[in-house]
Amino acid sequence: MAPVSINNVRKSYGALEVLHGVSIDIADGEFVVLVGPSGCGKSTLLRMLAGLEDISAGEISIGDRVVNGLQPKERDIAMVFQSYALYPHMTVEQNMGFSLKLARAPKEETRDRVAKVAAMLNLGDYLDRYPRQLSGGQRQRVAMGRAMVRNPEVFLFDEPLSNLDAKLRVQMRSEIKQNHHRLKTTTVYVTHDQIEAMTMADKIVVMHGGIVEQMGSPLELYDHPANLFVAGFIGSPAMNVIGGKVSGGGFVGDDGTRIALPFSVTEFEGREMKLGIRPEHLLLDANGHAAEIITIEPTGAETQVLLRLAGHEIVGVFRERILQKPGEILHVSLIPERIQLFDGKSGQRIDFREAA
Amino acid sequence: MNKLQTLKRPGLPGWLILTASVLLVLVCLFPFWWMVLSSVKTLRELYTVPPIWWPAAPTWENYRTVLFESNIPRYFLNSIIISVGSTALALVLAIFASYGFARFNFKGKPLLQSFVLVGQLLPTAAIIVPLFVTLRVLNLVNTYWGLILVYMIITLPLSVWMLTSYFKNIPVELEEAAIIDGASRLECLFRITLPLSLPGLASVMVYAFVTTWNEFIFALCFATDSSVKTLPIGLAEFSTEFNTDWGAVMAASVVMTLPIAILFLSMQRLFVGGLTAGATKG
Repeated sequence: MAPVSINNVRKSYGALEVLHGVSIDIADGEFVVLVGPSGCGKSTLLRMLAGLEDISAGEISIGDRVVNGLQPKERDIAMVFQSYALYPHMTVEQNMGFSLKLARAPKEETRDRVAKVAAMLNLGDYLDRYPRQLSGGQRQRVAMGRAMVRNPEVFLFDEPLSNLDAKLRVQMRSEIKQNHHRLKTTTVYVTHDQIEAMTMADKIVVMHGGIVEQMGSPLELYDHPANLFVAGFIGSPAMNVIGGKVSGGGFVGDDGTRIALPFSVTEFEGREMKLGIRPEHLLLDANGHAAEIITIEPTGAETQVLLRLAGHEIVGVFRERILQKPGEILHVSLIPERIQLFDGKSGQRIDFREAA
Repeated sequence: MNKLQTLKRPGLPGWLILTASVLLVLVCLFPFWWMVLSSVKTLRELYTVPPIWWPAAPTWENYRTVLFESNIPRYFLNSIIISVGSTALALVLAIFASYGFARFNFKGKPLLQSFVLVGQLLPTAAIIVPLFVTLRVLNLVNTYWGLILVYMIITLPLSVWMLTSYFKNIPVELEEAAIIDGASRLECLFRITLPLSLPGLASVMVYAFVTTWNEFIFALCFATDSSVKTLPIGLAEFSTEFNTDWGAVMAASVVMTLPIAILFLSMQRLFVGGLTAGATKG
């Protein structure tokens, strides 16, 4: 266990810079998820942490050691790859014990540690099997076991669940989480799946285009996204965004629909703005805005409705059953306290709590 | 229709494929059969027309001549030493060169890679004289080392190309995982990449061995002393200015073919490949 500090790290391939100064502090034992669309630099950052890529500029330290110049094996990290990368010519036991064998650990000790981890991961019966004889979930567990046997300071996960089917993914997600609870090892986990990020992380780091857009706890990011990108990326269905401007102390949509705001916006009079509201923050309200229903998707517990409001298509999620048909009108209101405003140009959220 | 429906196999009908395959195998194997057959005939039987398909009394006389009254055993030993030596040398050099080409990026790599092939493009006749001069200066004419080095030069380019493409097909994550597990580059090569490349290594080995085993021109020019002559030269020696002992030639041919046949049979399992199954993904 060790804290990790990433300080203004940059990565460039020739003239092309893919990471533009990233700084992240990871506390001892913290589970940090790097999340972002593909090509945002999250995997590159992880590989730099592992020592598989050079650090072009900046500093990474694990514990109290700067690891920039250290070989992967000197960094005391273990990594789980997206493709598992199990050694196909070795049995499960040999795969898991490979790092100890390379470190010339005594044979009995290796066997004991492998057996202990295998028992923890329910792999005890498979020690003599080869990777090709295992199912996807078992391979995934062997890959994790290989990392756990070493008892490293930091676990690195590179999209470990993206090759599994949906059901197994949910199961492995909770297994990884349980293991983290048990071992309390500092973990850096890369994924493009915001649900994985939300469910597993102590701290989420949202990356986009080689920079950190925002970091914080899952609910902090959900409730107070720093900008439109984070607002759209975290949460499913995504946050609704309505374009318009501030006028007469309220928000006026592109088509002239007035939406009341719970806070004073006089200082922004006339400014282009985007209004954000989460789908679950729409309420059925006979006195609310009239919105045309486009589609209705009942999921049983709740109903997702695609609506046309203020000239934009927005999604509402309601606990009530919706009996109307597409083409009919539904009256909805926005929970005023849940409305967020973003600057029309920069996309940055305007924090009225602070302004007030 | 309550008959069970089955998918029709696309392409040519089965009997046609079978017949064609059998025909092809017969044509390919006929020379070998004729070789074995002729090696147990007497000289007179060899020349009869129409040919005798199976001699009434097969004779081992030709084998006795070859094994006890000719230089063939000595040449056989020479061939083994030279082929094994040059194959081993080519394999070791090819492994390191190919690993470099497959896994590292460095300046001038494409140029170097194409340069490796240039040696392969030169016609044999064009390099005999320069090679001979070189070997003479190095005092290597009529030595094992002379032929070993020459054969290594011939087989190395293609070996490097074959192995490079084989190494490239091994997922690089496996080596990255090994590096994270604490392996050095050499440990990666020897503990991960090479064990997974056995089919590739076998192909290269068989290619290099067969090429050197059968080579004639260089052996003829650079090994004039019977202490280093190889089997192909030995075969040719049965033909003199006045007559050829075909029976002995055929018996010697059988002797020469056997090691290659054994080599192929023993390596057959490896050619099937599929060793990296289960390495990555599901």
